[in-house]
Amino acid sequence: MSTSRRSKPRFKIRNRRFPGGRRGIILLVGASLFFLCLCSVITVAVGRRVADTLFPDNTPSSEATSATPSWAPDSAELTIAVSPVMATTMEQLAEQFNAQKLETADGHVMKVTLLTLAPEKIVEQSVTGPSFQAISPDSSLWLTQIDQRWADLQGSAGEGIPLRRVGESIRYAVSPIVIAAWESTARELGWPDQPIGWQDIQRKATQDPSFKWNHPSTSHAAGLLATLAEFYAGAGITRNLTADLATAPHVLEYVRAVEATVSFYGEGEDVIIQRLTEEGRNYLDAFVAQEQTVIAWNQSNSGEKLVAIYPAEGTLWTDHPLALLELGVGEELAVTDNQRLTFRAFAAHLTSDTVQRQLLAAGYRPADLAIELESPGSPFAGTSLVDWRQPQTTLQLPSGAVVDVVQNVWWYTKRPTNVYLVVDTSGSMAGAKLERTRTALRSFIEQIRGDKDRVGLVEFGSGVKHFEPLRTVNQEGRDQLLQLVDRMNADGDTALLDAVGEAYNDLVLVNDQQAINAIVVMTDGQENDSSLDLSDLRRMFQRPNGVPVVVFTIAFGDDADEELLQELARIGNGQFRRASETDIEELYKIISTYF
Amino acid sequence: MNRTRWIFLAIVVLALVIAGASLIWRATTATPSDMGLSVERPDAVTVRVIVALPVEPWVRNAATKFNGGNHTVDGVPIQVEIVAMDGLTALGRWDRNDFGALPADTRPEDLTDEQRKELEDFPTAWIPDSRYLVELANASYKERLGRDVFLTDGEYRARPIAISLFAWGIYESRANVLEQSLSEISWRTIHDAAVAKGGWPELGGDASWGYFKLVVPNPNKNAGGLAAMIAAAGEYYGRTTISVEDITDPGFQAWLNELMGAVTDFSSASAYTAEDFALFGYSVGDGGQLLESDLLQNMQGILTRWEDPLVIYYPEYVTWFDFPFTVWVGPETSALEKNAALEFQRFLLSQDEQKEALAYGLRPANPNVAVTDSPDSLFVKWQDRGVQPIVPRTTAMRSPDRDVLLALLRWFDLNVAR
Repeated sequence: MSTSRRSKPRFKIRNRRFPGGRRGIILLVGASLFFLCLCSVITVAVGRRVADTLFPDNTPSSEATSATPSWAPDSAELTIAVSPVMATTMEQLAEQFNAQKLETADGHVMKVTLLTLAPEKIVEQSVTGPSFQAISPDSSLWLTQIDQRWADLQGSAGEGIPLRRVGESIRYAVSPIVIAAWESTARELGWPDQPIGWQDIQRKATQDPSFKWNHPSTSHAAGLLATLAEFYAGAGITRNLTADLATAPHVLEYVRAVEATVSFYGEGEDVIIQRLTEEGRNYLDAFVAQEQTVIAWNQSNSGEKLVAIYPAEGTLWTDHPLALLELGVGEELAVTDNQRLTFRAFAAHLTSDTVQRQLLAAGYRPADLAIELESPGSPFAGTSLVDWRQPQTTLQLPSGAVVDVVQNVWWYTKRPTNVYLVVDTSGSMAGAKLERTRTALRSFIEQIRGDKDRVGLVEFGSGVKHFEPLRTVNQEGRDQLLQLVDRMNADGDTALLDAVGEAYNDLVLVNDQQAINAIVVMTDGQENDSSLDLSDLRRMFQRPNGVPVVVFTIAFGDDADEELLQELARIGNGQFRRASETDIEELYKIISTYF
Repeated sequence: MNRTRWIFLAIVVLALVIAGASLIWRATTATPSDMGLSVERPDAVTVRVIVALPVEPWVRNAATKFNGGNHTVDGVPIQVEIVAMDGLTALGRWDRNDFGALPADTRPEDLTDEQRKELEDFPTAWIPDSRYLVELANASYKERLGRDVFLTDGEYRARPIAISLFAWGIYESRANVLEQSLSEISWRTIHDAAVAKGGWPELGGDASWGYFKLVVPNPNKNAGGLAAMIAAAGEYYGRTTISVEDITDPGFQAWLNELMGAVTDFSSASAYTAEDFALFGYSVGDGGQLLESDLLQNMQGILTRWEDPLVIYYPEYVTWFDFPFTVWVGPETSALEKNAALEFQRFLLSQDEQKEALAYGLRPANPNVAVTDSPDSLFVKWQDRGVQPIVPRTTAMRSPDRDVLLALLRWFDLNVAR
C-alpha cells in the first residue's frame, strides 16, 4: 500500500505536463542558458583577475601595447620632455606648480609631469608620436630641427608657408655656453688679462698631453657648440659655414686632431659635475658647459673655483625654451584643451617674478628683463668668475641642414674608440634578462656610426665562454657582432674579473694610443669563478703600459655585487651604473655617448 | 452622410493625425542641430580673436577689462578669448583651412552635432600684423569658396586698431662706428658692414665685437622677417613696389644673400626678436630693422641687461603694420558673435584703450589720440633713444602680393634656412 502510494506520485511527476505548457519549457531552457552564460563570463573574469594577481608578468606584450601614448580627451596632465641639464631645477618648479592644485574651468586639476631626455632624443621622439605634449630642450636650435624634420616627414618642405610641429613657446631662462676651467688653469691660459678662444684650448690640448678637457656629445647644445667651434676654427671662419666647407678634407683633419685631445665624451655637463664631485680637481682641467654650471659649482663647493671663459671667437646660448607640440596628425592623439591650459599656467608660473628670481639665484639669466643681473645678492654681482657683460659675440649657428652634416661628420672625425663589451651570460641571466641584454647590446652596436670604432665581445659564465677580439664596426663587422649577440646562451657561474682581465690585456696588446680604450662590463650576480681578484686587476691597471683603459660597470638587477663593481669602476677611472630590465637598453645607449 | 463622405472624412482625420503625430515626434526628439544657428538665444556669446604677437599684450589686457565690464550685444553678455598667433602662422592656417571653414555648398543647418561642435572654436575675428595678410587670406578663400571671407568695406570691414613701423635698432657704440666709417644707417650701410671681411676691426670697431651681426626675424615664423626683406628690396631698387621678377633677379639675390649671411641665428630669432635683442644683447646682434613697438617695449630690458644702450633710426623706405581688426563673415559664426566682435573692436578704438596702447609702444589708430597723450607713453619715455613722435620720412612700401611673398619665402628656404 505504502509502496503504491509512493510510486504513484513518482509516476505523476515524471509524466506531469509542465505549468505553462510548451512556452514554459522554452522559457526554462532560455533561463538556464542565460544562467550558464552568466556563470561562464563570471568564471572567466574572476579567473583572469586571479591569474593577473598571481602571475603579473605572464603577459609579455602588455608593455608594447601600453607604449602607445594615451590620455583622456579632457586630461589636464601635461607631460614635458626636459633636457638633463635643467631636469633638477624643473623638477622643483613642477612640484611648486603641482602643489598649487590649479583647476581648469571643468574642474580638472592641472598637473605637470616630467620626462628627462637628451635634446637629440626629444627631437627624434617629437616627430614620431611622442608620449609627451610639451618640450623643454636646452636650446631653441632643437625646435628648428623638429620643425624641419616634421616638414620633411610631411613632404611640405620648401612649399609656401611651412607646416610647424612646434606650437606656442616661451623662454624662461638663458645661459651662455662657456669653457669652464679651474681658476689656476684659466690663469695659465691668460685669464683675465687676455681674451681666450676655442683655438687657445685646442692648442693647449694639442701641445700639453697632461691637459684634460671634455665636451659633451653633439646631442647636447654644449657639445654641438664645441664641435661647431672646431669646424669654424678648422675652416678659418666664424660664419657662413656650409656643408661643403664642413666636409672639406683640411677641415676634417683639423677637427680630427682636436678631437684626439678630448679625454672622453659623455652625456652632458650634469654628469661631469657629478664626476668632479666624486673625483675632485684632477678629473678635468676644463670642460664645455653653460655658465650656470660654473655658478652652481662655485656656490656649493669650497676649494678651487671654476672660471667661465667666454670664447673670443664667439659662443652660443642655451635659451631653455618651453614649447607646446601641435599633435593630432592622422591617428595621433591631439593635445587637449585642458593640457593647453596647463601649459599656459605652467608657462606663467615659470615666468612669474618668484620663479624668475629663483632661477637667478640658481645661476641662470632670467627671461624677465626687469630683473637686473648685478642686483645685490645676485650670483653675478661682485665676482669676476662670471661676467654678465659677456659674451661680446656669438658664433653663427648654421642652418639645420649644415648642423646635421656637422653632427654626422663628427662621427667620422671624433676620436676612435676600442671598446670591449664584457657580458655576463651565467645561468642566472637565463630568460627575460638575457633577452633584454641582447636588445641593449644590439642598440649599442647599431648606434655606432662611421667606420673608426672597434668593438669586441667577451662572454663569461664559468670562465670566459667566448672571446671575440676587436673588430671594426663597419656594415660587415656590425652584422657579425649582432650574430654573436644573438647566439649568446645563459649557463654556468660568474667569472667576471677573469673576463675583465682578458679584455684589458687585449687592449694593452693592441696598444692604440690614438683611440679611447674602454671596457663596459655588465653582471647580474656575484663574482664566484675567477682566478684573478680585485687587487690583481688594480695592479694590472696601475702598470705603466701607456694605454689608459676606462671601465664602465653595470649592476643589472638587485643581486649584482655593487661594491665590487663600484671598485672596478674606480680602478678603471670610469663609472658605475645600476640598471633594471626596463632601462638597460637606454643605459647602454647612454654609455655609447662616452665614446 | 453617405459612404463616400465617411471615407473622405476618414482620410482627412488620418492626415491630421499623421501630421500631428509627426509634429509631436519632432518636438520631442529634435536636437539643437535641427534648430539652426540663430534660433536659440545663448546665455553668453564668446568672441575668439586671433591676435598678432606685437599687439597681443595690449589686446589681451584690453580683453580682460572688456570681460569685466559687463558688455552685451542684444542683451547677451560678451566674453572675449584671445589666441596669440603670428600673422604669417595664422595665414598658413587659413591657407590650409586648419580652422575648418565649411565648403561652399554646405549650410550650417545641415551639419551634424559633431560637425557643429568642431565649429565651436572657430575664430570670430583676426587681428593680423598687416592688411596685406587679410588680402592674402581672402585670395586663398576666393579660390576655394568663390568669395571673400574678410570684408574690406561695409559694417564688418577691417579697421586698423593700432599702427607701428619698422625702424632700425642699433647698439649705440656700433652705430657710432658705422656712421663714422660708412654712412648714415640704411640697408646699404648695413650691407657694407655685413660684407666687411675683417669684421668690426676693419670698420673701426672693437676686435671683441667679432663680425657685424644683423638681426632679422625668421620669415618662416614671423611676418616681421618678411617685411624686413621687402623693405631691403625697396631700398635696393629705390622703389616701393616689388615684383616676382625683382625677387628672382640674380643680382638682388646675391646682395640679399650677403646681407642674410650676417644673421647669426635664425633658430632663436623667433617671434619676439626685440626681446632676443634684450636677452642676448650685442652678442647676437649689433643691429637690425625691427618693429618700433617691439623695440620700445624692450628698451628698458636692454638698458637693464647690457652696458651699451640701443638707438632708434628711421629708414628711408618705411614698412607699416596696421593691425586690422577683421571679422570673419562666413556662416561658421553667428550674427550675434559677429556683432559682439564689433563691440570689442569699438572698445579697442576707444580713446582710453588707444591711450593705453601708447604704453606698449603702439601708435594710436584713433586720430583723436596723439602719441604723447599718456604719461606712460613710450614715445615720450624713449625720446632720447631716438624715437620720434612724427615719423620723419614716409615713403611707404606697398604691400607685396601673394606671388612675391611666396617667392621670397622660397628663396629664404632654399638659400638661408637650408
